[in-house]
Amino acid sequence: MLDIVGVSKTFETRDRRVAALQEVSLSVRDGEFLSLVGPSGCGKTTLLRIIDGLTDATSGRIIFNGVELQGVSREMAFVFQDINLLPWRTVVQNVEIGLEGRGLSKRARRQRALQALELVGLETVADAPPYTLSGGMQQRVGVARALAVDPKVLLMDEPFGHLDNFTRENLQVEVARLWQSLKMTVIFVTHDVDEAIFLSDRIALFRTNPGRIAEIVEVDLKRPRWEYNVRAEPNAIRLRERIMDELEVRKLQLA
Amino acid sequence: MSIADLQLARPATRPAPTGRWLRSRIVPPLAIVLVILGAWQATSVFLDPLLLSTPTAVFAALVAMAGQGQIWAALLTSLEEMFAGLAIGLVLGIVLGLLMGRYWVVEKILSPYVNFFNATPLVVTIPLLVIWVGISTQARLLFIVLITIWPVLLNTLAGVKNVSQGYVDVGRAFGLSDAQMLRLVSIPAAVPYMLAGVRISVGLAIIGMIVSEMEVSMVGLGFLLTSLGNSFQTSKLFGVILVTSLLGVLCAAILRLVERLWFRWIGEVSAAQR
Repeated sequence: MLDIVGVSKTFETRDRRVAALQEVSLSVRDGEFLSLVGPSGCGKTTLLRIIDGLTDATSGRIIFNGVELQGVSREMAFVFQDINLLPWRTVVQNVEIGLEGRGLSKRARRQRALQALELVGLETVADAPPYTLSGGMQQRVGVARALAVDPKVLLMDEPFGHLDNFTRENLQVEVARLWQSLKMTVIFVTHDVDEAIFLSDRIALFRTNPGRIAEIVEVDLKRPRWEYNVRAEPNAIRLRERIMDELEVRKLQLA
Repeated sequence: MSIADLQLARPATRPAPTGRWLRSRIVPPLAIVLVILGAWQATSVFLDPLLLSTPTAVFAALVAMAGQGQIWAALLTSLEEMFAGLAIGLVLGIVLGLLMGRYWVVEKILSPYVNFFNATPLVVTIPLLVIWVGISTQARLLFIVLITIWPVLLNTLAGVKNVSQGYVDVGRAFGLSDAQMLRLVSIPAAVPYMLAGVRISVGLAIIGMIVSEMEVSMVGLGFLLTSLGNSFQTSKLFGVILVTSLLGVLCAAILRLVERLWFRWIGEVSAAQR
């Protein structure tokens, strides 16, 4: 159980204060797939970074299984939008990065990294330099890098934001499969409503100025969702409309 | 003519790769070199060869010197001093640069001195070095160390401090300790900067070697240059100048090779970002 309790974040520049997040509270259930959806500037990425300990909150607490988290948590792993694979390391060495300093032998590290690469179907390019990989493959390595540390919570920050539509949809299915088989909690930031509906158990809708959660909606659609056309389901269409209304996308478009 | 015809026609009109390479990369530069050498040779008609000599005379002088062994001894002495000084300078520069980049206090304490030395035209220290250690190998070595240390130090520092935030985020998110962050992220990420610094320092090492030998010695290429100049042996003088130029070209080529062999990612990554 992961509890986000009254988290606020204010960024201060010389002449103004920006409330990126104001009093955000949220309980994440064990093993659920939760998406954070909202317009840019609503603080969803900031919240994800605060959960992982990459960014300090101005106030509020992150409590994981009853323990308040301080600093970067070992129970969680982060998948970045800009994957930032280290170009001086091979693919498998990049996946090993989270295993450095965990008292593993070199061989054990490689073994675990290779297993993680196998999960995303990339064990064959393990010893290639990362810049020889396509964008989609690089993002798979980013996922493997996170899975290698065997996290209880996987934090994904718009991981497919830079990818083309085909690659994106393939990776969505892959993430859904991984989540189903690995049974971990996933918190997934996106601004793509269809992506969120396809993947999530629940979707937290964010508003901006100040960044806050407006509503949390349940996604009550049959799984596995890659076995049928989710987007054509009447329930999914209704849900999509409701989310779009809540995010006030329509209003903006009419204005 | 339709578009399909054009596409079919294209490969046939394209010249063979080797032929194009020869025509574009070899022939024009070679032609220019020949024109310059020819013009130089022609100056002997109206100029005293004492001033400019001629390519043929320079070549003859080089062959003669190579036979006498004089230039070999000078070259050997110079190279020893240069590489010893450069090695010490590079190690000191990289170590100090890393320390300054890693520890805020060290940077605060040392940066005024670093800026001071880096801004000073360090040739001014030569008389002082001679007072301290005499006209000796040590004086020349010290001078080369003194001028090569700063570029590599400043570049290493800049490299360590400018590590991309994305890489730092990755290191932090995956729980690297401070020491691991330095070893696994900051130092490798700073390598392109370091190599740029090394390139400048190598150039300065050659200058330092020649200048210190001109001022502070009876040996080496620098001394050879001075004495040839004093005795108006222009052809030999050009020969020695040519040798030092080749030395610089060779060093640059070695550095490029090192980068290509051990740091291939540098070229690949910057090409991808372009």
